[in-house]
Amino acid sequence: MEEYVTRPPNSAGEKTLVRDISWCGVFNGANASMVDVKDGKIIRIRPARYYDQYTKEEVKPWVMHARGKTFEPSDKSLIPPLSLAYKKRVFSPGRIRYPMKRVDWDPKGERNPQNRGVSKYERISWDEALDLITSEILRIKETYGPTAILNQSDQHGENKVVHGPHGCMRKLLTMLGGYTLQVRDADSWEGWWWGAKHAWGCEPVGQQMPQKNLLWDISKNAELLLFWGCDQETTVWGWQGQLTSRLSYWWTELGIKQIYIAPDVNYANAVHADKWIPVLPNTDAALYLAIAHQWFKEGTYDKDYLETHAYGVDKFEDYVMGKDDGVPKSAEWAAPITGVSSRVIKALAREWASKRTTVVIGNGGPGIRGPYATEPARLQVLCLAMQGLGRPGCNQAKMIEWGLLDNFEQMSPPAPSVLTNLGAAYTGSTPAVTNHPSFIPKSLVPKAILEGEIDWWGNESEFTVREDQFVHYKYPADGCSKIHMVWTDSPSWITCWNSGNDYVRAIRKPDIEFMLAQHPWLENDCLFADVILPVNTTLEEDDIGSDIFSGQMNLLFPEERCIEPLGESCSDYEVVCRIAERLGLLEEYTGGRTIPELIKLGYETSRVAHLISWEDLQKKGYYVVSPDADWEKIPAGLIEFYDDPEGHPLSTPTGKVEFYATGLAEHFPDDLERPPVPKWIPQGLYHEETIGTERSKKYPLLVMSNHPRWGVHSEHDDITWLREIETCKVRGIDGYQYQPLWINPVDAAARGIKGGDVVSIVNERGVVLAGAYITERIRPGAVGIDHGAKYDPVVPGEIDRGGAINTIVPRNTTSKNACGHAVSGFLVEVEKTDLEALRAKYPEAFARECHITAGPCLAGFTEGGA
Amino acid sequence: MGKVMIIDLAICNGCHNCQVACKDEHVANDWSPVAKPQPDTGQFWNKVVNMERGSFPKVQVTYHHSICQHCEDAPCLEACTAHAIYRRADGIVIIDPEKCRGNQLCLEACPYENVIYFNHDLNIAQKCTFCAHLIDRGWTETRCSDACPTGAFTFGDEQDLKEKIAQAELLKPELPTGPRVYYFNLPKKWIAGAVLDSEADECLEGAAVTATDTRTGGAVTTTTDNYGDFWLRDLKDGQYTVAVEKEGYLTRKLGPVDATQKDQNLGDIVLWRA
Repeated sequence: MEEYVTRPPNSAGEKTLVRDISWCGVFNGANASMVDVKDGKIIRIRPARYYDQYTKEEVKPWVMHARGKTFEPSDKSLIPPLSLAYKKRVFSPGRIRYPMKRVDWDPKGERNPQNRGVSKYERISWDEALDLITSEILRIKETYGPTAILNQSDQHGENKVVHGPHGCMRKLLTMLGGYTLQVRDADSWEGWWWGAKHAWGCEPVGQQMPQKNLLWDISKNAELLLFWGCDQETTVWGWQGQLTSRLSYWWTELGIKQIYIAPDVNYANAVHADKWIPVLPNTDAALYLAIAHQWFKEGTYDKDYLETHAYGVDKFEDYVMGKDDGVPKSAEWAAPITGVSSRVIKALAREWASKRTTVVIGNGGPGIRGPYATEPARLQVLCLAMQGLGRPGCNQAKMIEWGLLDNFEQMSPPAPSVLTNLGAAYTGSTPAVTNHPSFIPKSLVPKAILEGEIDWWGNESEFTVREDQFVHYKYPADGCSKIHMVWTDSPSWITCWNSGNDYVRAIRKPDIEFMLAQHPWLENDCLFADVILPVNTTLEEDDIGSDIFSGQMNLLFPEERCIEPLGESCSDYEVVCRIAERLGLLEEYTGGRTIPELIKLGYETSRVAHLISWEDLQKKGYYVVSPDADWEKIPAGLIEFYDDPEGHPLSTPTGKVEFYATGLAEHFPDDLERPPVPKWIPQGLYHEETIGTERSKKYPLLVMSNHPRWGVHSEHDDITWLREIETCKVRGIDGYQYQPLWINPVDAAARGIKGGDVVSIVNERGVVLAGAYITERIRPGAVGIDHGAKYDPVVPGEIDRGGAINTIVPRNTTSKNACGHAVSGFLVEVEKTDLEALRAKYPEAFARECHITAGPCLAGFTEGGA
Repeated sequence: MGKVMIIDLAICNGCHNCQVACKDEHVANDWSPVAKPQPDTGQFWNKVVNMERGSFPKVQVTYHHSICQHCEDAPCLEACTAHAIYRRADGIVIIDPEKCRGNQLCLEACPYENVIYFNHDLNIAQKCTFCAHLIDRGWTETRCSDACPTGAFTFGDEQDLKEKIAQAELLKPELPTGPRVYYFNLPKKWIAGAVLDSEADECLEGAAVTATDTRTGGAVTTTTDNYGDFWLRDLKDGQYTVAVEKEGYLTRKLGPVDATQKDQNLGDIVLWRA
C-alpha cells in the first residue's frame, strides 16, 4: 500500500486524519471529522476545523443577510453525536472479525433453513468461506440460471468511496451472467414519490424541486414556518450534521414563527416550537382538506394564481365542499379524525392564509410514510398552491439532502462554487440504474418469495420519473428464475422495511438455499445468513472522502486509515475482489486498478483537482471549496414558475399543479386508493389502519414511528454512550435495555403501565417488546417508537425483544398501485408484558448472551469464540 | 488567567455532543496526571439533564447541564483529608488521581448534583477537568465546548469574558462557593393555557391573562395569540391566581396555581359571553 504524505504528528505524538463519518452510504460524504490517532489507537473524534489550514480570506465563506441580521457557517463542521461516538461502533461487541458459517447449514447435506435466526455461527477460514460461496454461486447459476441470485445492496450504511460499500457484487454478478436486483423503493419519501409527483412533477424525488436558495428566501420573506412531521434535530444527523439547528434558532431570532405539526413533540419541536399542533398519526390528509375547506369557504386563497398555475381545481373544490359525496370536509369533520380541535384547525387555516408560509419537511416525517401516504403528500402540494406556491416565502423547503443527486437545483443553502463528486472512484453501485432484466421492489421481496409470483406497477429505480409508475412489471420476469440465493451487503431489511416478520418467514423458506451476508456487525438480517463475511469499518480503510451535504462549505480530503482492520475483516470491495479472484475474474473485476490508483482517480475527477495539487491536498489534509461568489443571484425555489408558469412549467402533463391528476385519471381511473383527486382514505383494499375501523376495536392505538434520534436506521444501536441516554433505551426490570415506547400518561394509566415497565406492542402481525417511556411529548391515542432497533428474536417472525417495530408494520404497500412501504401510522394495542411467563416459555432466547450496556452481541449468536 | 465556562440553556438543542465528546476524550484514554480513564457508562463529567416541562399539549424540553463548577472556594478541596484536590493557577480544580485514596469525602462535600463520581474500579473520585491536559497543550476549547454545534458553551479566559459574565447567572447563587461556571437562561417557571369561546367554537385572541403571586401580590400579564394560547414566562416560584379577561366576556379567575415545583399548563379555558 502506498503511504500517504500527511502532516507530522503534534507535540503529543498524535496525527490528525480527516474522515467522512456519515451514513448516506454511497460516495456522497458529510460530517467531516478530525480523527486524532496515536500508536494505532483512535484517541479522539472531533469536528473538522475549516481554518486549520486555510484562512477565511482564502475561503470567503458565505454570509446571509436578512432583516438586519447576519448568519454565517461555523468555523467547524457541525457533526452529530453519532460521529463523535463512532469509535464505540468500530469496537462494538457485535463486530464480526472472521468469516462464519451457520453451524447446521450443510450445502452437501441438510441446509436447515427453518433454523435461520435460531442456530448459531462458528468461525471458518477465509479459504473455506470462499470455497462455499463460489461453489454455491456456480451451482445456483448452473441449476436455475443467474437471476436466481437476489442482490440486496442499498444505501444508508457507512459512506465509503473506493471501498463501496454497497453493491460491489453487482459488477461481478453481471460478469457471471446476471442477477435479480432488489430495487430500493422511495423509502422515507414514498408519499412524495408515489403521490406528489402527480400533483407537481418535481422529478425525480417528488418533493419541491428546485430547492435552491430557499434557506435565504425563508430568512428574508417567510412569516410562518409549518414544520410538518419534520425533525431537523434528528433526521439530518447522519446525512449532514447540525446546521439546521443553528438555522432554526436564527429563524426564531428573526421573528419567524415556527409551528410543529406531528403526533409528538419531536426533538426540534422540543426546543424551537412556538406552537405544537398534535395531529393523530397519519391523519394529515384530513387536516389539509379541512384547511382547504376553510379557504374555499372564506375565499382566502389565491384564485388568480390558480387560474394560471393549476389544473382541475373545480373537481377538488367539489370534493372538499362535499358536492361529490355530501360530506363537507370542514374543520368540524376533520376534528374527530385528526384529534385537532375544529377551532385550532380554523385558526391554523386563517394564519396560513394571512402569512407568507413555507412548509418545512425533512424527508419522511410520520405523516408521509404511512398507508395511503400519496394523499397527504398531494394535499400538502395543493394547499401550498392555493396560497401561491413559489411566491417569496411560500415554498416547500427541505431540511435535508442539500445538493442531492449532484444537482444544484437541490441546494437549499448558499451554493458552493463546485459540487465535488467522487462517483468515478466509487466501486459500489448507484441506485439510479434502470433496464434490469429481473428486479423486485424492496417492499415486495417477502411477497415475491412467499407467493412465488407477483406483479406490480413501477419502481424500476428510486430515481425514475412519474411515467414509470404506469409500467407493469412481474416476478419472475420472462425467462428469469425465482430466487434461490440471497447475497446482501445491507442486512437491515427486518428492522427497516415493511413487515419484517414476513421477511423472516420468507428467508426461512427452503426455496432460499443459500444466504450470504457481508457486514461489519452481526445484526438484523445477518442472523439469517448461512455464511457471513467480515467487513471492516470506514476508519480501517484508506479512501478518499468529501463533505457535500453540510450546507456550510464543501470539503474534499484523502482518507488515511486510522487503525488496521480488526481481525480478518476487509472492505466490501475487497470481499468481492476475493470472491472474484477465486473465480479467476479478479483482473476483469478490478480493471487492473489498485486502491491507491482509485483514490487518485477520485481526486482527479473530483472537480477540484484544478484548484489544489494532489501533494498539497495530502499535506494540508483537506480542501475547502469556496461558495459561489454569485449565490445571492440564484432565483429561489419555484419563483420562476410563480412569475411565468408558461415559460417555466412544472413537469406534470399539464405543466401546472394538478388538483386533478391527469396521469392517474388516464392510467388508474378506478383506483379508489389513489384517485385523481386526493382524498382522505380511512380504509381501503390494502389497509385498515385508522381509528374507527373494525380493527381499531382490538388495536386502538396508532403507532408513530420516526427515523431514530440516536442512530441512522439500523446503525449505531450498539453504542454504549448513546444507549445510556434517557431517550435512547429503557432498562427493564430484567436488566435488558429496551427500545423506548413513548406513551402518554393517559394511555399508560388506562393500561396499568408504569414508566420503565416492559410492554408488548401487539397486533396480528406479531409482538414487539419495548420499555415504557411515559411522556407528555406524545399525544393521547398515539404511541411512538423509533425504527431501527437491533432485531433480537424471541421467536423469529413472531416475537422480537430488541424493539424492531418494523416487524409488525403493515405488510401491504402504500396502496395497491403504489409499492412504497407503509411503516408509520398503523394500529396496535400495548400491554404490560408478563416477562416471567415469556422467559419460561422461551428460555433459550432469554438466556442468549447479551452485552449489559451494548445490547445483543456476537457472543450471543456464536459457538466456540468465533 | 482564570478559565471559565458559560452555558446558555436557551440554545442547547439537547444533542448530547458535550456529554459524548467528554466520553470520547476520557473513556479509555489515560490523561494522568490530570485524569485517569472515565468508566465507559454511568458516569458523566458533563451531564445533560433532560427536563420535560408542562403537559399535553403545552410541552417543552429544557436541557440542563451538570458539570464541576471549579469553585474558588471549593468544598470538595477542603473536605479531602488526603489533600488530593488542588486548584491550578488557572482556577481549574483537579482531583489528583495518584493522591486520591477513595474516601469519597468530596462526593459528600460537593453542594452541586451529578458532578463528582466514584470510580469503583480505580478506587478514585473523578470529575470534569476542563480538559486541562488539552489546555496545557494549547487548546482553547474543552472537548464539550468544541463539540457544541450551537455555541451553547463558551469556554475561555475570565478577563476576555468579563462583560458576558456580568450578565450571567449562577447555578446556586445562594452558595459562597465562587463557581467558575456561569449560566444563561436557567429555567424559570411558566403558566400556559388556551382560551376559547366554546359557543362560537373559536380560539379567543387578545384576551388578557394575568398571574398574581398570592404571597407578594406581584402580577405578570400577557395576551392570548390567534390560537388563544398564552404563556406567562419567567415566573418566580410561587402560588398564583390567574385572571382571564376579554371585552364582551365574563372574566374568569383560576387558582391557586402551584408553580413552586413545576410549570403549569391550565389546559383549555372557556370564556362565556357577558
